[in-house]
Amino acid sequence: MRRRFLRRPLAVVGLVVALVFVLAAIFAPIVAPYSAGATDFNSILAHPSRHHLLGTDELGRDVFSRIVWGSRASIEAGVLATLLALCVAVPIGVVAGYYRGWVDTVIARLTDVLLAFPFLILAVGLAAILGPSLTNATIALGIGAAPGLIRIARGEALALREEDYVRAAVANGASDARILARHVLPNMLSTLIVQATVAIPAAIIGEAVLSFLGLGVQPPTPSWGVMLSDAQSYLSQAPRLAVYPGIAIFICSLSFNLLGDGLRDILDPRTTR
Amino acid sequence: MSLLTVDGLSVRFDTDDGPVHAVDRLSFSLAEREVLGVVGESGCGKSVSFMALLRLLPETAVVSGRAEFDGVDLLTIPSSRLRRVRGRQIAFVFQEPMTSLNPAFKVGRQIGEVLTRHLGLSRGEAERRTVELLDLVRIPAPDRRAREYPHQLSGGMRQRVMIAMALACAPKILIADEPTTALDVTIQAGILDLMRDIRERLGTAIVLITHNLGVVADVADRVIVMYAGRKAEEAPVGDLFAEPQHPYTNGLLGAVPRPSVEGPRARLREIPGRVPSLAELPGACAFAPRCPRADERSRSQVPELREVRPNHLVACFHPGPDLAQTG
Repeated sequence: MRRRFLRRPLAVVGLVVALVFVLAAIFAPIVAPYSAGATDFNSILAHPSRHHLLGTDELGRDVFSRIVWGSRASIEAGVLATLLALCVAVPIGVVAGYYRGWVDTVIARLTDVLLAFPFLILAVGLAAILGPSLTNATIALGIGAAPGLIRIARGEALALREEDYVRAAVANGASDARILARHVLPNMLSTLIVQATVAIPAAIIGEAVLSFLGLGVQPPTPSWGVMLSDAQSYLSQAPRLAVYPGIAIFICSLSFNLLGDGLRDILDPRTTR
Repeated sequence: MSLLTVDGLSVRFDTDDGPVHAVDRLSFSLAEREVLGVVGESGCGKSVSFMALLRLLPETAVVSGRAEFDGVDLLTIPSSRLRRVRGRQIAFVFQEPMTSLNPAFKVGRQIGEVLTRHLGLSRGEAERRTVELLDLVRIPAPDRRAREYPHQLSGGMRQRVMIAMALACAPKILIADEPTTALDVTIQAGILDLMRDIRERLGTAIVLITHNLGVVADVADRVIVMYAGRKAEEAPVGDLFAEPQHPYTNGLLGAVPRPSVEGPRARLREIPGRVPSLAELPGACAFAPRCPRADERSRSQVPELREVRPNHLVACFHPGPDLAQTG
Protein backbone atom coordinates (compact mmCIF):
# COMPACT_ATOMS: atom_id res chain seq x y z
CA MET A 1 0.00 0.00 0.00
CA ARG A 2 2.88 2.33 0.83
CA ARG A 3 4.40 1.65 -2.57
CA ARG A 4 1.10 2.43 -4.28
CA PHE A 5 0.99 5.74 -2.44
CA LEU A 6 4.57 6.62 -3.27
CA ARG A 7 3.84 6.06 -6.96
CA ARG A 8 1.57 9.11 -6.90
CA PRO A 9 3.86 12.16 -6.87
CA LEU A 10 1.04 14.66 -6.33
CA ALA A 11 -0.21 12.81 -3.28
CA VAL A 12 3.31 12.66 -1.86
CA VAL A 13 3.73 16.41 -2.41
CA GLY A 14 0.36 16.95 -0.72
CA LEU A 15 1.41 14.86 2.26
CA VAL A 16 4.75 16.67 2.63
CA VAL A 17 3.27 20.16 2.34
CA ALA A 18 0.40 19.33 4.70
CA LEU A 19 2.94 17.99 7.20
CA VAL A 20 4.98 21.20 6.88
CA PHE A 21 1.89 23.25 7.78
CA VAL A 22 1.01 20.98 10.70
CA LEU A 23 4.57 21.10 12.03
CA ALA A 24 4.70 24.88 11.55
CA ALA A 25 1.52 25.19 13.60
CA ILE A 26 2.82 22.96 16.38
CA PHE A 27 6.28 24.52 16.53
CA ALA A 28 5.20 28.09 15.77
CA PRO A 29 7.26 29.57 18.66
CA ILE A 30 10.41 28.03 17.20
CA VAL A 31 9.67 28.55 13.50
CA ALA A 32 8.43 32.13 13.63
CA PRO A 33 11.23 34.70 13.95
CA TYR A 34 9.02 37.16 15.83
CA SER A 35 6.04 36.80 18.13
CA ALA A 36 2.68 37.33 16.46
CA GLY A 37 1.96 40.62 18.16
CA ALA A 38 5.46 42.16 18.15
CA THR A 39 5.24 45.58 16.52
CA ASP A 40 8.11 47.47 14.97
CA PHE A 41 7.02 51.05 14.36
CA ASN A 42 10.27 51.82 12.56
CA SER A 43 9.26 49.57 9.70
CA ILE A 44 5.59 49.90 8.92
CA LEU A 45 4.30 48.36 5.70
CA ALA A 46 7.89 47.44 4.96
CA HIS A 47 8.83 45.50 1.86
CA PRO A 48 10.24 41.99 2.19
CA SER A 49 13.79 42.16 3.46
CA ARG A 50 16.41 40.22 5.33
CA HIS A 51 14.79 41.12 8.65
CA HIS A 52 11.22 40.64 7.56
CA LEU A 53 11.01 37.77 5.12
CA LEU A 54 7.59 38.76 3.78
CA GLY A 55 7.61 42.39 4.92
CA THR A 56 5.53 43.94 7.68
CA ASP A 57 1.93 45.06 8.04
CA GLU A 58 0.38 48.37 8.99
CA LEU A 59 1.48 47.98 12.62
CA GLY A 60 4.97 46.82 11.72
CA ARG A 61 4.24 43.17 12.57
CA ASP A 62 6.23 40.54 10.72
CA VAL A 63 3.95 38.99 8.07
CA PHE A 64 5.82 35.69 7.88
CA SER A 65 5.58 35.24 11.64
CA ARG A 66 1.88 36.02 11.58
CA ILE A 67 1.28 33.48 8.83
CA VAL A 68 3.12 30.83 10.87
CA TRP A 69 1.15 31.67 14.00
CA GLY A 70 -2.04 31.96 11.95
CA SER A 71 -1.62 28.38 10.75
CA ARG A 72 -2.48 27.30 14.30
CA ALA A 73 -6.03 28.63 13.98
CA SER A 74 -6.41 27.11 10.51
CA ILE A 75 -5.07 23.66 11.35
CA GLU A 76 -6.89 23.58 14.67
CA ALA A 77 -10.19 24.54 13.07
CA GLY A 78 -9.61 22.20 10.12
CA VAL A 79 -8.74 19.13 12.16
CA LEU A 80 -11.04 19.64 15.15
CA ALA A 81 -14.04 20.62 13.04
CA THR A 82 -13.56 17.49 10.94
CA LEU A 83 -13.22 15.29 14.03
CA LEU A 84 -16.34 16.86 15.50
CA ALA A 85 -18.22 16.29 12.24
CA LEU A 86 -17.12 12.64 12.19
CA CYS A 87 -18.15 12.11 15.82
CA VAL A 88 -21.58 13.54 15.13
CA ALA A 89 -22.16 12.11 11.67
CA VAL A 90 -20.86 8.56 11.84
CA PRO A 91 -23.09 7.25 14.67
CA ILE A 92 -26.15 8.93 13.17
CA GLY A 93 -25.42 7.74 9.64
CA VAL A 94 -24.56 4.20 10.68
CA VAL A 95 -27.66 3.79 12.85
CA ALA A 96 -29.84 5.14 10.05
CA GLY A 97 -28.27 2.96 7.39
CA TYR A 98 -28.07 -0.22 9.43
CA TYR A 99 -31.47 -0.21 11.09
CA ARG A 100 -33.45 1.40 8.23
CA GLY A 101 -37.09 1.97 9.13
CA TRP A 102 -38.66 5.31 10.01
CA VAL A 103 -35.58 6.52 11.89
CA ASP A 104 -33.66 6.27 8.65
CA THR A 105 -36.34 8.08 6.70
CA VAL A 106 -36.40 10.97 9.18
CA ILE A 107 -32.60 11.26 9.32
CA ALA A 108 -32.20 11.00 5.54
CA ARG A 109 -34.79 13.69 4.85
CA LEU A 110 -33.38 16.03 7.52
CA THR A 111 -29.94 15.54 6.00
CA ASP A 112 -31.32 16.41 2.59
CA VAL A 113 -32.80 19.61 3.99
CA LEU A 114 -29.50 20.60 5.60
CA LEU A 115 -27.59 19.73 2.45
CA ALA A 116 -29.76 22.18 0.54
CA PHE A 117 -27.89 24.97 2.38
CA PRO A 118 -24.36 25.58 1.11
CA PHE A 119 -21.78 24.51 3.68
CA LEU A 120 -20.45 28.04 4.28
CA ILE A 121 -23.89 29.62 4.64
CA LEU A 122 -24.75 26.99 7.23
CA ALA A 123 -21.48 27.58 9.08
CA VAL A 124 -21.86 31.37 8.96
CA GLY A 125 -25.38 31.11 10.34
CA LEU A 126 -24.33 28.78 13.15
CA ALA A 127 -21.29 30.91 14.01
CA ALA A 128 -23.46 34.01 14.14
CA ILE A 129 -25.79 32.26 16.60
CA LEU A 130 -22.96 30.86 18.75
CA GLY A 131 -20.98 34.10 18.88
CA PRO A 132 -17.54 34.95 17.57
CA SER A 133 -14.59 32.88 18.80
CA LEU A 134 -12.31 30.23 17.37
CA THR A 135 -14.02 27.51 19.43
CA ASN A 136 -17.46 28.49 18.23
CA ALA A 137 -16.27 28.79 14.64
CA THR A 138 -14.86 25.26 14.91
CA ILE A 139 -18.15 23.95 16.30
CA ALA A 140 -20.08 25.73 13.55
CA LEU A 141 -17.82 24.29 10.85
CA GLY A 142 -18.04 20.83 12.38
CA ILE A 143 -21.82 20.85 12.46
CA GLY A 144 -21.90 22.41 9.01
CA ALA A 145 -19.83 19.54 7.62
CA ALA A 146 -21.87 16.84 9.38
CA PRO A 147 -24.79 16.43 6.90
CA GLY A 148 -22.52 15.42 4.04
CA LEU A 149 -20.73 12.91 6.25
CA ILE A 150 -24.02 11.53 7.59
CA ARG A 151 -25.06 10.81 4.05
CA ILE A 152 -21.78 9.04 3.29
CA ALA A 153 -21.83 7.00 6.51
CA ARG A 154 -25.44 6.03 5.89
CA GLY A 155 -24.71 4.98 2.33
CA GLU A 156 -21.79 2.84 3.45
CA ALA A 157 -23.83 1.22 6.21
CA LEU A 158 -26.64 0.51 3.75
CA ALA A 159 -24.21 -1.27 1.46
CA LEU A 160 -22.30 -3.09 4.18
CA ARG A 161 -25.37 -4.51 5.90
CA GLU A 162 -26.02 -6.54 2.78
CA GLU A 163 -22.55 -8.06 2.73
CA ASP A 164 -22.30 -11.82 3.02
CA TYR A 165 -20.01 -11.58 6.02
CA VAL A 166 -22.60 -9.54 7.88
CA ARG A 167 -25.20 -12.20 7.06
CA ALA A 168 -22.79 -14.88 8.19
CA ALA A 169 -22.14 -13.01 11.44
CA VAL A 170 -25.88 -12.78 12.15
CA ALA A 171 -26.27 -16.48 11.43
CA ASN A 172 -23.51 -17.24 13.87
CA GLY A 173 -25.04 -15.33 16.73
CA ALA A 174 -23.43 -11.87 16.64
CA SER A 175 -25.36 -9.04 18.29
CA ASP A 176 -26.14 -5.79 16.50
CA ALA A 177 -23.58 -3.84 18.53
CA ARG A 178 -20.96 -6.40 17.65
CA ILE A 179 -21.78 -6.33 13.95
CA LEU A 180 -21.58 -2.55 13.89
CA ALA A 181 -18.28 -2.49 15.76
CA ARG A 182 -16.62 -5.43 14.02
CA HIS A 183 -18.04 -5.53 10.54
CA VAL A 184 -19.63 -2.24 9.56
CA LEU A 185 -17.31 0.40 11.06
CA PRO A 186 -13.95 -1.17 10.17
CA ASN A 187 -15.02 -1.66 6.58
CA MET A 188 -16.15 1.92 6.12
CA LEU A 189 -13.00 3.32 7.72
CA SER A 190 -11.11 3.88 4.48
CA THR A 191 -14.01 5.83 3.01
CA LEU A 192 -14.23 7.92 6.17
CA ILE A 193 -10.50 8.66 6.15
CA VAL A 194 -10.76 9.89 2.58
CA GLN A 195 -13.79 12.02 3.40
CA ALA A 196 -11.98 13.47 6.40
CA THR A 197 -9.02 14.59 4.32
CA VAL A 198 -11.46 16.28 1.96
CA ALA A 199 -13.35 17.89 4.84
CA ILE A 200 -10.21 19.35 6.42
CA PRO A 201 -9.40 21.83 3.59
CA ALA A 202 -13.06 22.84 3.45
CA ALA A 203 -12.93 23.62 7.15
CA ILE A 204 -9.63 25.50 6.74
CA ILE A 205 -11.19 27.72 4.11
CA GLY A 206 -14.31 27.98 6.26
CA GLU A 207 -12.26 29.16 9.23
CA ALA A 208 -10.62 31.83 7.07
CA VAL A 209 -14.02 32.98 5.81
CA LEU A 210 -15.53 33.12 9.30
CA SER A 211 -12.49 35.01 10.65
CA PHE A 212 -12.58 37.35 7.68
CA LEU A 213 -16.20 38.12 8.48
CA GLY A 214 -15.36 38.64 12.14
CA LEU A 215 -17.16 35.48 13.25
CA GLY A 216 -14.05 33.45 14.02
CA VAL A 217 -10.69 34.35 15.49
CA GLN A 218 -10.71 37.83 17.00
CA PRO A 219 -7.84 40.24 16.42
CA PRO A 220 -5.15 40.66 17.56
CA THR A 221 -4.85 36.84 17.55
CA PRO A 222 -3.43 36.03 14.12
CA SER A 223 -5.39 34.01 11.60
CA TRP A 224 -5.21 33.97 7.83
CA GLY A 225 -8.79 35.20 7.63
CA VAL A 226 -8.08 38.06 10.06
CA MET A 227 -4.98 39.04 8.06
CA LEU A 228 -7.02 39.12 4.86
CA SER A 229 -9.63 41.26 6.54
CA ASP A 230 -6.99 43.70 7.89
CA ALA A 231 -5.34 43.89 4.48
CA GLN A 232 -8.49 45.21 2.84
CA SER A 233 -7.78 48.82 3.89
CA TYR A 234 -4.26 48.70 2.47
CA LEU A 235 -4.98 46.92 -0.82
CA SER A 236 -3.74 49.85 -2.94
CA GLN A 237 -0.62 50.54 -0.88
CA ALA A 238 0.46 47.01 -0.02
CA PRO A 239 -1.45 44.33 -1.93
CA ARG A 240 1.08 41.74 -0.72
CA LEU A 241 -0.61 41.85 2.71
CA ALA A 242 -3.59 40.13 1.11
CA VAL A 243 -1.59 37.98 -1.27
CA TYR A 244 0.55 36.13 1.28
CA PRO A 245 -2.22 34.84 3.57
CA GLY A 246 -4.22 34.08 0.44
CA ILE A 247 -1.40 31.94 -0.88
CA ALA A 248 -1.10 30.24 2.52
CA ILE A 249 -4.80 29.34 2.49
CA PHE A 250 -4.54 28.15 -1.10
CA ILE A 251 -1.47 25.95 -0.64
CA CYS A 252 -2.60 24.54 2.70
CA SER A 253 -6.03 23.48 1.50
CA LEU A 254 -4.63 22.25 -1.83
CA SER A 255 -2.11 20.04 -0.02
CA PHE A 256 -4.84 18.37 2.03
CA ASN A 257 -6.94 17.93 -1.10
CA LEU A 258 -4.09 16.27 -2.99
CA LEU A 259 -3.45 14.04 0.00
CA GLY A 260 -7.13 13.11 0.10
CA ASP A 261 -7.18 12.31 -3.62
CA GLY A 262 -4.14 10.10 -3.24
CA LEU A 263 -5.64 8.28 -0.26
CA ARG A 264 -8.88 7.75 -2.13
CA ASP A 265 -7.02 6.20 -5.03
CA ILE A 266 -5.28 3.67 -2.83
CA LEU A 267 -7.92 3.03 -0.17
CA ASP A 268 -11.19 3.04 -2.08
CA PRO A 269 -11.69 -0.35 -3.67
CA ARG A 270 -14.19 1.06 -6.14
CA THR A 271 -11.65 3.14 -8.04
CA THR A 272 -9.57 1.09 -10.43
CA ARG A 273 -6.12 0.31 -9.24
CA MET B 1 -33.31 -39.59 19.28
CA SER B 2 -34.09 -36.77 17.01
CA LEU B 3 -32.16 -33.57 17.50
CA LEU B 4 -34.30 -31.25 15.48
CA THR B 5 -37.96 -31.79 14.65
CA VAL B 6 -39.59 -29.47 12.16
CA ASP B 7 -43.34 -29.67 11.85
CA GLY B 8 -45.45 -27.93 9.23
CA LEU B 9 -42.97 -25.18 8.41
CA SER B 10 -44.42 -22.67 5.95
CA VAL B 11 -42.83 -19.50 4.68
CA ARG B 12 -44.79 -16.89 2.81
CA PHE B 13 -43.58 -13.62 1.35
CA ASP B 14 -46.23 -10.98 0.91
CA THR B 15 -45.15 -9.08 -2.16
CA ASP B 16 -46.83 -6.37 -4.20
CA ASP B 17 -47.91 -9.06 -6.65
CA GLY B 18 -49.60 -11.10 -3.97
CA PRO B 19 -48.35 -13.78 -1.60
CA VAL B 20 -45.51 -16.09 -2.61
CA HIS B 21 -45.44 -19.45 -0.87
CA ALA B 22 -41.75 -20.23 -0.66
CA VAL B 23 -42.16 -23.20 1.65
CA ASP B 24 -45.37 -25.14 2.13
CA ARG B 25 -45.90 -27.33 5.22
CA LEU B 26 -42.46 -28.86 5.37
CA SER B 27 -41.90 -31.44 8.09
CA PHE B 28 -38.77 -33.44 8.78
CA SER B 29 -36.49 -34.48 11.57
CA LEU B 30 -32.77 -34.67 11.99
CA ALA B 31 -31.10 -37.30 14.16
CA GLU B 32 -27.84 -36.93 16.00
CA ARG B 33 -24.77 -37.62 13.84
CA GLU B 34 -26.96 -37.74 10.76
CA VAL B 35 -26.08 -36.16 7.44
CA LEU B 36 -29.25 -34.97 5.76
CA GLY B 37 -29.11 -33.96 2.12
CA VAL B 38 -31.68 -31.46 0.88
CA VAL B 39 -31.91 -31.37 -2.89
CA GLY B 40 -33.86 -29.30 -5.36
CA GLU B 41 -33.63 -26.75 -8.13
CA SER B 42 -32.85 -23.09 -7.43
CA GLY B 43 -35.84 -21.42 -5.86
CA CYS B 44 -37.46 -24.59 -4.54
CA GLY B 45 -37.29 -23.27 -0.99
CA LYS B 46 -34.46 -25.37 0.35
CA SER B 47 -32.32 -22.48 1.56
CA VAL B 48 -35.30 -20.47 2.70
CA SER B 49 -36.52 -23.32 4.93
CA PHE B 50 -33.30 -23.43 6.88
CA MET B 51 -32.86 -19.67 7.02
CA ALA B 52 -36.38 -19.58 8.44
CA LEU B 53 -35.42 -22.01 11.20
CA LEU B 54 -32.86 -19.58 12.57
CA ARG B 55 -35.10 -16.62 11.73
CA LEU B 56 -32.58 -15.16 9.29
CA LEU B 57 -35.15 -14.09 6.73
CA PRO B 58 -36.13 -10.47 6.21
CA GLU B 59 -39.15 -9.21 8.09
CA THR B 60 -41.34 -9.51 5.01
CA ALA B 61 -41.32 -13.29 5.46
CA VAL B 62 -44.26 -14.80 7.30
CA VAL B 63 -43.11 -18.01 8.96
CA SER B 64 -45.40 -20.54 10.63
CA GLY B 65 -45.03 -24.03 12.00
CA ARG B 66 -42.87 -25.48 14.77
CA ALA B 67 -39.18 -26.24 14.95
CA GLU B 68 -38.27 -28.07 18.09
CA PHE B 69 -34.64 -28.09 19.08
CA ASP B 70 -33.30 -28.91 22.52
CA GLY B 71 -36.76 -28.62 24.06
CA VAL B 72 -37.58 -25.19 22.65
CA ASP B 73 -39.42 -23.95 19.57
CA LEU B 74 -36.89 -21.96 17.56
CA LEU B 75 -39.65 -20.06 15.81
CA THR B 76 -41.10 -18.55 18.99
CA ILE B 77 -38.29 -18.16 21.53
CA PRO B 78 -37.15 -14.57 22.17
CA SER B 79 -34.42 -13.34 19.85
CA SER B 80 -31.94 -12.94 22.69
CA ARG B 81 -32.20 -16.68 23.37
CA LEU B 82 -32.16 -17.49 19.69
CA ARG B 83 -28.86 -15.64 19.38
CA ARG B 84 -27.33 -18.13 21.80
CA VAL B 85 -28.51 -20.98 19.59
CA ARG B 86 -27.16 -19.40 16.44
CA GLY B 87 -23.51 -20.24 15.99
CA ARG B 88 -23.19 -22.03 19.31
CA GLN B 89 -25.58 -24.93 18.71
CA ILE B 90 -26.64 -24.54 15.11
CA ALA B 91 -24.02 -23.10 12.79
CA PHE B 92 -24.49 -21.96 9.22
CA VAL B 93 -22.01 -22.11 6.34
CA PHE B 94 -23.04 -20.07 3.34
CA GLN B 95 -22.60 -20.52 -0.34
CA GLU B 96 -20.24 -17.65 -0.96
CA PRO B 97 -16.84 -18.33 0.54
CA MET B 98 -15.33 -15.43 -1.38
CA THR B 99 -17.38 -12.80 0.38
CA SER B 100 -18.38 -14.39 3.66
CA LEU B 101 -15.26 -13.34 5.52
CA ASN B 102 -14.72 -9.83 6.80
CA PRO B 103 -11.95 -8.37 4.61
CA ALA B 104 -10.75 -6.04 7.37
CA PHE B 105 -9.34 -8.64 9.75
CA LYS B 106 -6.96 -11.57 9.65
CA VAL B 107 -8.74 -14.92 9.50
CA GLY B 108 -7.18 -16.13 12.73
CA ARG B 109 -8.56 -13.16 14.55
CA GLN B 110 -12.03 -13.72 13.11
CA ILE B 111 -12.09 -17.30 14.35
CA GLY B 112 -10.46 -16.36 17.63
CA GLU B 113 -13.12 -13.79 18.24
CA VAL B 114 -15.87 -16.39 18.05
CA LEU B 115 -13.96 -18.42 20.64
CA THR B 116 -13.34 -15.61 23.10
CA ARG B 117 -16.85 -14.33 22.65
CA HIS B 118 -18.95 -17.49 22.73
CA LEU B 119 -16.75 -19.78 24.82
CA GLY B 120 -14.98 -17.22 26.99
CA LEU B 121 -11.49 -18.45 26.13
CA SER B 122 -8.51 -16.23 26.87
CA ARG B 123 -6.58 -14.69 24.01
CA GLY B 124 -3.78 -17.22 24.14
CA GLU B 125 -6.13 -20.20 24.39
CA ALA B 126 -8.19 -18.85 21.50
CA GLU B 127 -5.07 -18.49 19.38
CA ARG B 128 -4.04 -22.06 20.07
CA ARG B 129 -7.54 -23.39 19.44
CA THR B 130 -7.76 -21.39 16.18
CA VAL B 131 -4.70 -23.14 14.84
CA GLU B 132 -6.17 -26.48 15.90
CA LEU B 133 -9.41 -25.70 14.09
CA LEU B 134 -7.60 -24.66 10.93
CA ASP B 135 -5.66 -27.87 11.15
CA LEU B 136 -8.91 -29.82 11.62
CA VAL B 137 -10.27 -28.40 8.36
CA ARG B 138 -6.97 -29.44 6.77
CA ILE B 139 -5.47 -26.08 6.00
CA PRO B 140 -1.74 -26.56 5.51
CA ALA B 141 0.57 -24.43 7.67
CA PRO B 142 -2.35 -23.31 9.85
CA ASP B 143 -0.31 -21.04 12.10
CA ARG B 144 0.89 -19.06 9.10
CA ARG B 145 -2.54 -18.96 7.45
CA ALA B 146 -4.11 -17.68 10.65
CA ARG B 147 -2.06 -14.53 10.25
CA GLU B 148 -3.28 -13.86 6.70
CA TYR B 149 -6.13 -11.76 5.43
CA PRO B 150 -9.07 -13.34 3.56
CA HIS B 151 -7.93 -11.95 0.20
CA GLN B 152 -4.69 -13.89 0.52
CA LEU B 153 -6.56 -17.20 0.62
CA SER B 154 -8.09 -19.15 -2.26
CA GLY B 155 -11.80 -19.91 -2.47
CA GLY B 156 -11.48 -23.46 -1.17
CA MET B 157 -9.30 -22.25 1.64
CA ARG B 158 -11.81 -19.58 2.59
CA GLN B 159 -14.61 -22.13 2.64
CA ARG B 160 -12.48 -24.22 4.99
CA VAL B 161 -12.01 -21.18 7.19
CA MET B 162 -15.77 -20.63 7.20
CA ILE B 163 -16.28 -24.24 8.23
CA ALA B 164 -13.62 -23.90 10.92
CA MET B 165 -15.43 -20.84 12.22
CA ALA B 166 -18.74 -22.67 12.18
CA LEU B 167 -17.19 -25.56 14.11
CA ALA B 168 -15.51 -23.27 16.62
CA CYS B 169 -18.23 -23.69 19.24
CA ALA B 170 -18.72 -27.41 18.55
CA PRO B 171 -22.30 -26.95 17.33
CA LYS B 172 -24.73 -29.84 17.40
CA ILE B 173 -25.92 -29.07 13.88
CA LEU B 174 -23.97 -27.68 10.95
CA ILE B 175 -26.13 -26.33 8.15
CA ALA B 176 -24.12 -26.02 4.95
CA ASP B 177 -25.94 -24.10 2.23
CA GLU B 178 -24.40 -25.08 -1.10
CA PRO B 179 -20.94 -25.22 0.45
CA THR B 180 -19.26 -26.45 -2.69
CA THR B 181 -21.12 -24.66 -5.45
CA ALA B 182 -18.61 -21.86 -5.91
CA LEU B 183 -15.60 -24.17 -5.87
CA ASP B 184 -13.58 -26.27 -8.30
CA VAL B 185 -14.54 -29.93 -8.58
CA THR B 186 -11.35 -31.19 -6.95
CA ILE B 187 -11.77 -28.76 -4.08
CA GLN B 188 -15.43 -29.77 -3.80
CA ALA B 189 -14.34 -33.33 -3.18
CA GLY B 190 -11.98 -32.14 -0.46
CA ILE B 191 -14.72 -30.18 1.30
CA LEU B 192 -17.14 -33.12 1.14
CA ASP B 193 -14.46 -35.37 2.50
CA LEU B 194 -14.00 -32.89 5.30
CA MET B 195 -17.74 -32.98 6.06
CA ARG B 196 -17.62 -36.74 6.45
CA ASP B 197 -14.59 -36.43 8.66
CA ILE B 198 -16.30 -33.84 10.87
CA ARG B 199 -19.26 -36.11 11.38
CA GLU B 200 -17.01 -39.03 12.27
CA ARG B 201 -14.76 -37.13 14.62
CA LEU B 202 -17.05 -34.56 16.22
CA GLY B 203 -20.42 -36.27 15.89
CA THR B 204 -21.96 -33.14 14.39
CA ALA B 205 -25.23 -33.59 12.56
CA ILE B 206 -24.97 -31.98 9.13
CA VAL B 207 -27.62 -30.60 6.81
CA LEU B 208 -26.25 -30.36 3.31
CA ILE B 209 -28.29 -28.12 1.07
CA THR B 210 -27.39 -28.58 -2.57
CA HIS B 211 -28.69 -28.89 -6.08
CA ASN B 212 -26.10 -31.50 -6.88
CA LEU B 213 -27.28 -35.09 -6.47
CA GLY B 214 -23.73 -36.32 -6.81
CA VAL B 215 -22.76 -34.43 -3.67
CA VAL B 216 -25.67 -36.02 -1.81
CA ALA B 217 -24.88 -39.53 -3.00
CA ASP B 218 -21.39 -39.05 -1.67
CA VAL B 219 -22.03 -38.00 1.90
CA ALA B 220 -25.68 -37.99 2.93
CA ASP B 221 -27.43 -40.67 5.00
CA ARG B 222 -30.90 -39.52 4.11
CA VAL B 223 -32.21 -37.25 1.38
CA ILE B 224 -35.13 -34.85 1.07
CA VAL B 225 -36.06 -33.84 -2.46
CA MET B 226 -37.92 -30.55 -2.60
CA TYR B 227 -39.97 -29.14 -5.42
CA ALA B 228 -41.75 -25.79 -5.48
CA GLY B 229 -41.65 -25.36 -1.72
CA ARG B 230 -42.88 -28.85 -0.92
CA LYS B 231 -41.23 -32.08 0.00
CA ALA B 232 -41.54 -34.37 -3.00
CA GLU B 233 -39.68 -37.35 -1.68
CA GLU B 234 -37.71 -38.44 1.33
CA ALA B 235 -35.66 -41.62 1.64
CA PRO B 236 -32.42 -43.13 2.86
CA VAL B 237 -29.81 -42.30 0.28
CA GLY B 238 -29.38 -45.89 -0.99
CA ASP B 239 -33.12 -46.34 -1.55
CA LEU B 240 -33.46 -43.03 -3.28
CA PHE B 241 -30.81 -43.84 -5.84
CA ALA B 242 -31.84 -47.47 -6.23
CA GLU B 243 -35.57 -46.95 -6.47
CA PRO B 244 -36.53 -43.32 -6.93
CA GLN B 245 -40.30 -42.98 -6.58
CA HIS B 246 -41.22 -39.44 -7.54
CA PRO B 247 -41.09 -38.64 -11.26
CA TYR B 248 -39.20 -35.47 -10.36
CA THR B 249 -36.50 -37.45 -8.58
CA ASN B 250 -36.39 -39.75 -11.58
CA GLY B 251 -35.95 -36.73 -13.78
CA LEU B 252 -33.15 -35.36 -11.63
CA LEU B 253 -31.34 -38.67 -11.68
CA GLY B 254 -31.72 -38.86 -15.43
CA ALA B 255 -30.01 -35.50 -15.72
CA VAL B 256 -26.90 -36.60 -13.83
CA PRO B 257 -24.06 -37.59 -16.12
CA ARG B 258 -22.51 -40.96 -15.26
CA PRO B 259 -19.65 -42.70 -16.91
CA SER B 260 -20.59 -45.97 -18.57
CA VAL B 261 -17.93 -48.46 -19.49
CA GLU B 262 -19.94 -50.68 -21.76
CA GLY B 263 -22.52 -49.80 -24.33
CA PRO B 264 -23.27 -46.54 -26.09
CA ARG B 265 -23.26 -43.47 -23.94
CA ALA B 266 -26.72 -42.69 -22.65
CA ARG B 267 -28.01 -39.31 -23.59
CA LEU B 268 -28.64 -37.00 -20.64
CA ARG B 269 -32.29 -36.29 -20.17
CA GLU B 270 -33.65 -32.94 -19.18
CA ILE B 271 -36.87 -32.26 -17.38
CA PRO B 272 -39.20 -30.50 -19.80
CA GLY B 273 -40.86 -27.22 -18.85
CA ARG B 274 -39.76 -24.90 -16.12
CA VAL B 275 -40.12 -24.37 -12.40
CA PRO B 276 -43.59 -23.04 -11.58
CA SER B 277 -44.04 -19.59 -10.10
CA LEU B 278 -44.58 -19.89 -6.39
CA ALA B 279 -47.11 -17.09 -6.43
CA GLU B 280 -49.83 -19.29 -7.91
CA LEU B 281 -50.09 -22.40 -5.82
CA PRO B 282 -52.65 -24.46 -7.67
CA GLY B 283 -54.79 -27.11 -6.05
CA ALA B 284 -52.79 -29.71 -7.88
CA CYS B 285 -49.45 -31.44 -7.90
CA ALA B 286 -46.95 -28.65 -8.58
CA PHE B 287 -44.97 -30.96 -10.83
CA ALA B 288 -47.96 -31.99 -12.95
CA PRO B 289 -47.29 -29.62 -15.88
CA ARG B 290 -43.84 -31.16 -16.39
CA CYS B 291 -44.70 -34.71 -15.46
CA PRO B 292 -44.99 -37.58 -17.95
CA ARG B 293 -47.20 -39.50 -15.51
CA ALA B 294 -49.63 -36.69 -14.74
CA ASP B 295 -53.33 -37.41 -15.14
CA GLU B 296 -56.61 -35.80 -14.16
CA ARG B 297 -56.09 -36.54 -10.50
CA SER B 298 -52.64 -34.90 -10.44
CA ARG B 299 -54.12 -31.80 -12.00
CA SER B 300 -57.01 -31.44 -9.59
CA GLN B 301 -55.65 -32.65 -6.23
CA VAL B 302 -52.54 -32.06 -4.17
CA PRO B 303 -50.83 -35.40 -3.52
CA GLU B 304 -50.08 -35.93 0.17
CA LEU B 305 -46.92 -37.61 1.39
CA ARG B 306 -47.28 -41.32 1.96
CA GLU B 307 -44.93 -44.03 2.95
CA VAL B 308 -44.43 -46.41 0.04
CA ARG B 309 -41.78 -48.39 1.85
CA PRO B 310 -40.31 -48.08 5.35
CA ASN B 311 -38.80 -44.59 5.72
CA HIS B 312 -39.46 -43.84 2.08
CA LEU B 313 -41.98 -41.02 1.68
CA VAL B 314 -43.24 -39.69 -1.59
CA ALA B 315 -45.85 -37.12 -2.60
CA CYS B 316 -47.11 -38.56 -5.85
CA PHE B 317 -50.19 -40.44 -7.09
CA HIS B 318 -48.09 -42.58 -9.40
CA PRO B 319 -44.88 -43.39 -7.58
CA GLY B 320 -42.26 -45.81 -8.82
CA PRO B 321 -38.92 -45.90 -10.55
CA ASP B 322 -38.83 -44.65 -14.09
CA LEU B 323 -39.01 -47.74 -16.27
CA ALA B 324 -37.47 -46.07 -19.25
CA GLN B 325 -34.38 -45.37 -17.26
CA THR B 326 -33.89 -48.38 -15.06
CA GLY B 327 -35.15 -50.93 -17.52
